[in-house]
Amino acid sequence: MLSLDMAFWTMAVVTVVSAAAVVLLKDVFRAALCLVLTFMVVAGLFVLLSAEFLAVVQVLIYAGAISILIIFAIMLTRDVHQGNPSNRFRYPALVLAALLLAAIVLVVIKTDWNQLDSRVLPGAPTEAVGATETGVKNVFSNTTPVIARLLLRDFVLPFEVASVLLLAAILGALALVREGEG
Amino acid sequence: MNYLLFLPELALAALAFGVLVIDLFLPRERKGYLPWVSLVGLAGVLALSLRYLWGKDTNLYGGLFLVDSFSLFFKAFFLVMGGLVVLSSMEYVKRHLSHPGEYYGILLLSILAMMLMTSSGELLTAYISLELLSFSLYVLVSFARGDPKSNEAGLKYILLGAFASALLLYGISHVYGMLGTTGFTEISAALLLEETPLNPAVLLGLALIVAGLGFKMAAAPFHMWAPDVYEGAPTPVTAYLAVGVKAAVFALVLRLFSQAFMPAIEEWQVILAILAALTMTVGNLVAIAQSNIKRMLAYSSIGQVGYLLMGVAALSPMASDGVMLHLLGYGISNLAAFLGVILYYNVTGKENIADYAGLADRSPFLAMAMSVALFSLAGLPFFAGFTTKFYLFTAAAEGGFLWLVGLAITNSLISLYYYLIVIKQMYMVPASDKSALKVSLIGGGVLGVLVLGIFLVGVYPAPLVDAIQGATGAILP
Repeated sequence: MLSLDMAFWTMAVVTVVSAAAVVLLKDVFRAALCLVLTFMVVAGLFVLLSAEFLAVVQVLIYAGAISILIIFAIMLTRDVHQGNPSNRFRYPALVLAALLLAAIVLVVIKTDWNQLDSRVLPGAPTEAVGATETGVKNVFSNTTPVIARLLLRDFVLPFEVASVLLLAAILGALALVREGEG
Repeated sequence: MNYLLFLPELALAALAFGVLVIDLFLPRERKGYLPWVSLVGLAGVLALSLRYLWGKDTNLYGGLFLVDSFSLFFKAFFLVMGGLVVLSSMEYVKRHLSHPGEYYGILLLSILAMMLMTSSGELLTAYISLELLSFSLYVLVSFARGDPKSNEAGLKYILLGAFASALLLYGISHVYGMLGTTGFTEISAALLLEETPLNPAVLLGLALIVAGLGFKMAAAPFHMWAPDVYEGAPTPVTAYLAVGVKAAVFALVLRLFSQAFMPAIEEWQVILAILAALTMTVGNLVAIAQSNIKRMLAYSSIGQVGYLLMGVAALSPMASDGVMLHLLGYGISNLAAFLGVILYYNVTGKENIADYAGLADRSPFLAMAMSVALFSLAGLPFFAGFTTKFYLFTAAAEGGFLWLVGLAITNSLISLYYYLIVIKQMYMVPASDKSALKVSLIGGGVLGVLVLGIFLVGVYPAPLVDAIQGATGAILP
């Protein structure tokens, strides 16, 4: 498990550092590139969590399509060299964000997370522990059919509402940029 | 599965698409038909809802979509309010905005989103519906493209709205991670099994959900976006934001907290009470200093959110009745006030409080209607606001929040002060321009109906209270 731990911590640190760079870098183009890096590393984290399908989708849509859109948008924007200026709320925001971070870290430490080993009753025979682990492995061995069933059967209503949402977004974007009356 | 129960939503979606398609084929001089198509369609959807949903208590999609008297009450509310907003928009859109097809189409989609929100029995469905509502509003708020204030409002709204959605989603993921479900009734069952005090992760999730929804309803300290957005948005959209969106978010909050988070009431009651106290005080105090009437009404509606939150904090069947009744009374009064602002703006193009000087001489009807609306918002007897506030405050006091009720009454007095400033402008200060104002027939008619509604709710609320008690029965037996 040591290699998995190492992989996790490497990716976790890269995620946090690159995400912080997105916010802190003055140059918008470099910030966008850091965002792409964040997307890629998050896909790696999904692989570690045995969510391969999600990882592939993350690479295709976020690291692929959305990054290119963002970079195009930046290249087509005038005055992009002005960068990403900060304002007078910089330090209050820093304090607030630090407080929120402290609260989240505290919760992470204090919470009794439903980890696999704590779910199995203490004193249970080792076969039971093994059975739970195999059960979990079975669920996560092939996530695509599970996702398909959830999206297209159990959660078909929000799935369809999402398509109406996209339509509203496209319509709105067109109405706001289209020239002329009518 | 009985698809008839889902028919109103399908019909409304079809209506929105229909308006967009008709818009393609209408020549420019006939675009005035679009609001009428929307109105007839909304009336049809209302008839369908009443015909097929009346007295039903069931669910579709395995509990994702709830059909009960609570959702029917709010659906009827949203459809009627949507019709009123369409009527108030007609002249404004014709004069000040381009692309009427998209305006009405997106307005209808946002009403669909509200209907889905009140019916959702599960966090993800609620979240997606809330996003549909928010996206429609981002567009509507920035619809006055030539006006930099509208663009600024749209940008602020989209950035802070996306931030709020992220908070909400992060909270939902905590709740799902710890309880293993997103269904409201399943969450409630899982919470009953949890030992007290609650797991910190669930608490954090709960706090983040409250913060996310607080942003959407503009509760202090998450209200910073509201005044700028309310001022910059086209006025009919502002009215819609102040009445419709608040009602939709409160419908979701009432259902969420009574059906899902009720077992943890000890944990969130205090948070909501503090938010309520903060919201009503900040809203009413800052409203005094405003010179733009839309900004003043924005802060006053933040104050009203404080009263409503107080009702949610003291959640009980009676408090839930009070919240719904006040949503209705506040909704009618605020729509009337905003319609007055719209009608005045249509003729004069002005929206500062000082510009209302001498309105009583120029248009006695408009001045009278606006005074009635403002008195009702302040909560004076015989007007809707008094009855509904009385009910809400009594319920909160019985729920053990006497200190909060005292604060709310003090705040109502403060609000009377800044409403009276506007009324003083209209009646006491002489006008610089003495010419008579001609109010459009449709706008004046709708305003008249709203004023009658204010008196009706204020004097004879019994039938409404009966309907609301039936609706509450579905979420808080």
